[in-house]
Amino acid sequence: MKTKRVFVVIAFLLIAITLFAAGCGSKQTSAPGNQNQGKDKLKVGFVFIGPVTDGGWNTSHNNGRLYLEKQLPYVETIFVQNVPAGSDSERVMRQLIQQGAKVIVATSFNYGDTVKKLAKEFPDVYFLHATGLEVAPNVSTYDIREYEGTYLTGMVAGKMTKTNIIGYVAANPIPCVVRAINGFAMGVKAVNPNAKVKLLWTSTWYDPAKEKEAALSLADEKADVLAQYQDSPAVQQAAQERGIYSIGYHADMRHFAPQANLTSFTWNWGPIYVQEVKAYHDGNWKGKAIWASAQEGAATIAPLNDKLVPADIKKLVEETKDKLSKGELTVFKGPIKDNKGKTIVGEGQKISDAELVKCNWLLDNIEGKL
Amino acid sequence: MYLSDKLNLGKSIKLEKRLSVPPVLYLIVPVVSVILVLLLGGLFLAVLGYNPIEVYEILLNGAFGNTYNFTETIVHAIPLMLTGLGVSLAFKMGLWNIGAEGQLYFGAFMASGVALFFHDLPTPLMLTLVLIAGFLGGALWGFVPAALKVFLGVNETLTTLLLNYVAILWVDYFIFGPWKDPKGFLPYSKVFPQSAMLPVFPGTRIHAGLVLAILAAIILWIIIWKTTWGYEIRLIGENTQVARAAGINIARNMLLVMIISGGLAGLAGMGEVCGIIGRLQHNISPGYGYTAIIIAWLSRLNPLVILLVAVIFGGLNNGGYALQMVGLPESTVTMLQGAILLFVLGGDILTQYRVKIHRRGCGA
Amino acid sequence: MEMVTLLTATLHAAIISATPILYAALGEIFAERSGVLNLGVEGIMLVGAATGFYTVVNSQSLLLGVLATVAVSLLFGLIFSFITITLRASQVVTGLVLTIFGTGLSAFLGKSMIGQASPVIFHKIPVPVLSKIPILGHVLFNHDMLVYVLYLLVPLSWFFIYRTREGLNLRAVGENPAAADALGINVFAVRYFYVCLGSIFAGLAGAYLSLAYAPSWLENMSGGRGWIAIVLVIFATWNPVRAALGALIFGGVDVLGFKFQARGIGISPYFMRMLPYLITIIVLIIITARSQMAKNLMPKALTIPYDREER
Repeated sequence: MKTKRVFVVIAFLLIAITLFAAGCGSKQTSAPGNQNQGKDKLKVGFVFIGPVTDGGWNTSHNNGRLYLEKQLPYVETIFVQNVPAGSDSERVMRQLIQQGAKVIVATSFNYGDTVKKLAKEFPDVYFLHATGLEVAPNVSTYDIREYEGTYLTGMVAGKMTKTNIIGYVAANPIPCVVRAINGFAMGVKAVNPNAKVKLLWTSTWYDPAKEKEAALSLADEKADVLAQYQDSPAVQQAAQERGIYSIGYHADMRHFAPQANLTSFTWNWGPIYVQEVKAYHDGNWKGKAIWASAQEGAATIAPLNDKLVPADIKKLVEETKDKLSKGELTVFKGPIKDNKGKTIVGEGQKISDAELVKCNWLLDNIEGKL
Repeated sequence: MYLSDKLNLGKSIKLEKRLSVPPVLYLIVPVVSVILVLLLGGLFLAVLGYNPIEVYEILLNGAFGNTYNFTETIVHAIPLMLTGLGVSLAFKMGLWNIGAEGQLYFGAFMASGVALFFHDLPTPLMLTLVLIAGFLGGALWGFVPAALKVFLGVNETLTTLLLNYVAILWVDYFIFGPWKDPKGFLPYSKVFPQSAMLPVFPGTRIHAGLVLAILAAIILWIIIWKTTWGYEIRLIGENTQVARAAGINIARNMLLVMIISGGLAGLAGMGEVCGIIGRLQHNISPGYGYTAIIIAWLSRLNPLVILLVAVIFGGLNNGGYALQMVGLPESTVTMLQGAILLFVLGGDILTQYRVKIHRRGCGA
Repeated sequence: MEMVTLLTATLHAAIISATPILYAALGEIFAERSGVLNLGVEGIMLVGAATGFYTVVNSQSLLLGVLATVAVSLLFGLIFSFITITLRASQVVTGLVLTIFGTGLSAFLGKSMIGQASPVIFHKIPVPVLSKIPILGHVLFNHDMLVYVLYLLVPLSWFFIYRTREGLNLRAVGENPAAADALGINVFAVRYFYVCLGSIFAGLAGAYLSLAYAPSWLENMSGGRGWIAIVLVIFATWNPVRAALGALIFGGVDVLGFKFQARGIGISPYFMRMLPYLITIIVLIIITARSQMAKNLMPKALTIPYDREER
């Protein structure tokens, strides 16, 4: 009998904590019962590598998912977050297919091996693989020409810097990140040939304290505009703390640093999802490489901060944006040299898409290494 | 007045070690713990507006509901079994090896080295080598803290914990640097040749690691309970002084046990890279080595029970994903898992101790 | 001059990144000095970060945020103490479980706060006069309140542990609980008290992250700093002053890595990050060798539950 009392004490403590937690977090309403309502709906399974609440990459894809549900009433989405690539990603995708998902959206490059394997086994399931490289009859890779957006943010940075040193905090040197940085540097160069971009790698996608450390280091190196390819808003906060400017990534990060943030690069995945899921529904889908551009409104930037950005710069950005969306402007147009002095592409030429996919060089106004 | 005199905690509840444990308690206490936490969890879910019974059903179904889910639960359980067995042997001897995570990584690292650099070997030879390399990698990572303990008396709990980080960063260095797939973009090695891949049970992802784990469990059980060496290990674990007085070579035993303990974790790492992933990459383990400690402890270091408990943990993991698919936030699942563990942990102690509650503190 | 600016900037940044680690480490020193290894630091830190942020967002008051953090981490300390001290369950296992529970709980609590900016944060308050001292002024006296509190806590903790009666009792309990008990010290009460104190410090470390360092809430935002704190305690040989120096090194490794990178000096970041762990192992070896001669370097009863009947 005495055994029970001890249990009562632990139970009491845990009840207190859990009930408190429940009270704090009980705002959401979706109940597990919901899945019964969608018997005839087209099921689309989303797999995320991190929490959909990271405020960065995963959130941007999750926004696309929500957009898809809103636009196509016949679609029901199932999503699983925090799925590591490897053993678990295969398991989760299989389970999603088992539950009747007809379209699988793998929102991380890391899922490449899993998608390749499962696509062979389930020829009737349509796979969408974000930033992937290999297309198959039932696998489409999709990406956004992010460099068109970062070109615009680069222009803002190039115009706003006084010290001609712009800091860039980035996660890991993989092609899509490098491409975004090069696009940014092209934008800087276009408006301010004297400015340098100082680049620091953090080797982590998600560690706010570390990202802030890198940002402060750049501020110490006299950078007066900080840009980022990281998930957290730590770089923005660092800039505000030092009284310098900053440019966000993934989502509009204005409210984290209203006195520092000039603008942010933002993804717009929703239209791609709607287009492809609709194609599947209508039966005219096929595996292809999708690379959405500014012309389709895919790479966008958040509204400029009117309190900080003068009207003439705003006008310039608007005009450039207009040109990009009309397809009148090419970002990577020669002559382009990398920062080791090697010519990437000569005068008047453009870089081919095949070259851009494996982007493994840094523009000559970038200080940093791959 | 000392601070310690003012507080009188701990004296009001008293634990007495049971002289003999009624066997029925081994069954009752965990069952009661789980039922309690399910009730508590149910209350919690109900407050959130979910139907608890439905949630539990999905959890169970996701873990064991059909053949596919069940085999996947086994797949997740394999590394847990091997690491769990590994740490249990060390615990049996009173060595707190909390370095299974690092041993797993180093085993995976060595196995990958073989798979990548001897890629044209015939399959049987390759598999043998990969196996040996995996074991040796883990064994080396277990040997270092054991040697430090034996020769210099350094606390093994702390060194094994520290070596976990060294092993993970070591692997990171190789996959971000020298071993990075020249054709790939992410931090991972080249794909292993098919000859280095462990055979799987047809139609599933269950690989030969399961056979290794079952064999290891049986062998460990025999060693611990049926051999003189096992008796020595148990004696050292229960009372080092007595063991020393009995003329048992403690140093040799510690080194050997940690080599085997680490080696088993190394095999788990080998199983992950050669049985499932097919290349060395960042984050090959979501903390198997730490979960293993909990598993070994809950199983009371009984090798055969460890196999079972590992399967339950595999089920908790997979059931967790199933819950996510119906819209339950992932953090709820982690919380539920943590709460279940806390209860079982607290409950477990009651099998070994009898509780006496005194209204007033009693003097020394 | 160039070197000097680099140095001051590095030190200033190192102090900031050392702060959360040091808070957690100071707490863990108290717990471990009493003979209890609390591996739940990471979990408690996350819960502290989430609680602090949640309270500040809803109440607009930093003081309330800190108080709430203290209350919740105290509760976690009590749970841990009850299971490990009263029920005598394994400290290692309980700590690991607490980390799992804390990670889940904080992520859950934090769900509604994602993407929010804190209405009030701990701002930098340059100390008048002192912050004007060349070089040192900026390095030491241009921080927020929580850093200054830490400046006081480090020497106070040292004094408490080594120069007071209570500190002596604390060390006695961690060193030889049976002997301490025989001297009339209530071993259980001492352990309860210091484990809870340690837990509160860990919670504050979390609050520093979410309210001062990167003022926002992000799942898993501690990024393993709780574990680094546990390593730091060993590195510092359970001494608060050495912990402060160690925290600067541990915190400084990343900062220095960035400074090197910015100057194009190439050292593998993985080896840089491996260094603190390797150094700690060496420190551990040295103190073990020395503690054969000198006492009080390491609590001998660490991880061993105390049982009066088994004296």
